Amino acid sequence: MKKYILIGSGSFLGTICRYLLKTVHFGGFHEWIPLNTLMINVSGSLVLALILTVALEIWSFDPDLKLGITAGFVGAFTTFSTLCKETVGLMRAGNYSSAISYLAISAILGLGAAYLGTVLAKKLGAKYFRKKKPNHKPDFLMGAESEVK
Amino acid sequence: MNLLIVGIGGTFGGIVRYQLGKMISQRAATTFPIGTFLINITGAFCLGLVASAGSGTVYLLLGDGFLGAYTTFSTFMYEGFHLFQGNEKLNALTYIFSSLVLGVIGYAAGFALGGLFLK
Repeated sequence: MKKYILIGSGSFLGTICRYLLKTVHFGGFHEWIPLNTLMINVSGSLVLALILTVALEIWSFDPDLKLGITAGFVGAFTTFSTLCKETVGLMRAGNYSSAISYLAISAILGLGAAYLGTVLAKKLGAKYFRKKKPNHKPDFLMGAESEVK
Repeated sequence: MNLLIVGIGGTFGGIVRYQLGKMISQRAATTFPIGTFLINITGAFCLGLVASAGSGTVYLLLGDGFLGAYTTFSTFMYEGFHLFQGNEKLNALTYIFSSLVLGVIGYAAGFALGGLFLK
């Protein structure tokens, strides 16, 4: 139950943040490409990769809280359906090159952000948490080993 | 008030995505991220339906709220990146390319279908 409450509250906050950022006017390339959704999706991809890598390799915190942040907040913050809607909107306006560029840029920057998030987490881990890195062996395995001895 | 409506839709969208994704991936015997794939495409189709019906409170609740949170871009990219890293380049390219193409087609199909019945 705790898991669902955390995913639900994370999604609540993530959706509201996306909605608020959607209306901010950054100026510039708006006629060419839907910049707001692009920034939301790319920054979310970076944060997701960062947190998942931190949880996997550096510091394994409460799994329910992890789900609340990743599946909840970041999952709801980023969106795929709006990306499709905006692409179709560009196509309907006759801006086919913008539509294709928008899809390509989203995918390339999104993958780059996932890579960057992963590398960043590993670098941080190597720099600050080298001695605290948890032992990946589950407890029961360590017990079995000591019995063999 | 708008924020609350969007937030409530998003709460359910996130929970449904998690639960459905878990159920699909438990049944699927493949490294292809079929869960997120199906979720994103069905979500894009449904957003087309919702958008064809107008842009009022219903769109805030179901479009920006529920479907915005139900579909996800960050997991999509994380899974794509991991396929690349695991040297499944063909799977990665297929996943990313087919998701985007089918998502766009799905949205357009939903919008056209909604235009026939929901207006």
